[in-house]
Amino acid sequence: MRKPLSLLVASTALSAAIGLPVWSASPSLMEPAPSGPGLIVPGLRASGGTPAQAMPRSETVAGLLVLASGDDDEGDDDEEDEDDDDDDDDCHDDDDDCGGRRANPAPAGTVAPPANGLFGTGAPPQVKVN
Amino acid sequence: MKSLLASLALTTALTVPGLALARPVTLTTTLNAYGGDGAYLALYVTDATGAYVGSLWMAGGKSKYYEHLSDWYRATGGDPAQINGITGASVGAGRTLEITLDLADALFDAGYTLHVDAAVEEMRDSPNEVAVPLTSAGAGTAVRGRRYVASFSYAM
Repeated sequence: MRKPLSLLVASTALSAAIGLPVWSASPSLMEPAPSGPGLIVPGLRASGGTPAQAMPRSETVAGLLVLASGDDDEGDDDEEDEDDDDDDDDCHDDDDDCGGRRANPAPAGTVAPPANGLFGTGAPPQVKVN
Repeated sequence: MKSLLASLALTTALTVPGLALARPVTLTTTLNAYGGDGAYLALYVTDATGAYVGSLWMAGGKSKYYEHLSDWYRATGGDPAQINGITGASVGAGRTLEITLDLADALFDAGYTLHVDAAVEEMRDSPNEVAVPLTSAGAGTAVRGRRYVASFSYAM
């Protein structure tokens, strides 16, 4: 009986030794907001013309992470391709079939040239690159 | 028999002028050794008032880059229908693009101007790189571009 009791005491002491510092270091969502004004978002104004008090400090710094955009794709784009400064989210330079973009034109030889009045009805275009 | 001959003569008379309304014209563009990727080139025609008439050739097949051919893009909105059937690959630095097109005679000596817009990835865009009046007298005369084109000429 003494042996299980001593094991229980030892494990409780160990848990407390490890757990208490972690517990005290982690921010609590139940912690009340500081009495200060919190963060003011520039440009946001309440209807009365006073700057809107956007978010209490506890929500922005210590507690909840508030994302301005739910899209975390942008950073990846930049890391993969520093040259890609397009605003699109899912289209990469090598994609040919991005939605929303104009289709690529039909290559020469696959369709007739456009009827813009510049071309005759004779031989199709011939191209050579030296 | 007489009516058949008359019909033949009539159709021939109608067809021959039509054949003479266009001729093969070779457009030759040689690029500088500018040390970059392949160049996108838009060859197009404006009339005497500077209004866009139509495109003759597009070197470069991906429409997402066309906005860098800024004068052509402004005139066309990047509409691929303008260049369907007259689009080929981009042209590497130092290479020569030679295109032979069956072009209407009415294009020459009538105030039309042929323009070349050029763009190279990660290098400066060059709208109106070349602008040459389309005249019979100007055929065979090479002109130099502003940035990427070492020489451009057309031959009839």
